[in-house]
Amino acid sequence: MADSLSPQCTPLKHEYDSCFNVWFEEYLEPALATNATEAQRTAHYQRKAEEFQAKCGKVYAEYQNCIQNAVKQKGIEPLLQQAREEHPLREPLPPAVPSSKDSK
Amino acid sequence: MHFFSQAFNYEHPWSHVTFLDRTVDPKTGVIRTERILGCKQKTPGWILALFGGSEDAFVREISFVDPATQNATITSVNLSLSQFATCFERIQYSPAPGNRTSFTQTAEVQARMQLWRSAADGLERWLVQRFEQNAHLGKLGFTDVLRTLEERLEQRQTTAA
Repeated sequence: MADSLSPQCTPLKHEYDSCFNVWFEEYLEPALATNATEAQRTAHYQRKAEEFQAKCGKVYAEYQNCIQNAVKQKGIEPLLQQAREEHPLREPLPPAVPSSKDSK
Repeated sequence: MHFFSQAFNYEHPWSHVTFLDRTVDPKTGVIRTERILGCKQKTPGWILALFGGSEDAFVREISFVDPATQNATITSVNLSLSQFATCFERIQYSPAPGNRTSFTQTAEVQARMQLWRSAADGLERWLVQRFEQNAHLGKLGFTDVLRTLEERLEQRQTTAA
């Protein structure tokens, strides 16, 4: 596992990573069950989103708190702010148009 | 703006990865993750002398994982030196026939020419100042080396005498 931006945040990051990875494995499983109905999927995602908050929410908040300071110290906050304004990316981008390899 | 589409390996591994934000959409199940990736890069010495800064390079990355459609998209843009140029990269993994996964990668490279022109005057002054400051530091460093050498020579001479 990679280290965090700031060494002080690394233990929290590893704790959060472990929490997320366990949750994520379970999360992907039912996606493979193709016979699930739309309603079943929606209910499942809702439940998993809540579960994520319940299980990993606390360590996530602590980690967030830690890295906010690191981002400021490293001087990347204004750059990050600018990047967020230019590309908010709140929603997935539409699928890329497949193009031939030599196209420019 | 320039586009390219190719794959390559960076010489330097990502040394640290920081999560900024992660959300799970309860309706669609899509996981959105915002991260900062940092790596030590071998910046040419003259760039450090001119722009100051550090050898740490930072990249902002946003990924979307959709378990329902099994699509994953990853977009990334450089934060470091983004005042001069940006590289907006996009990678997409999606299911392909024959139980395979298709991988698409595109990138847009854009120089911030307008910013350059409007800021050119102030930037030049600032750069000259930075250069002077750093040149001065470099000189100090070398003076220290010379002084140490001199001291060692003196010590050797006194013990020999």
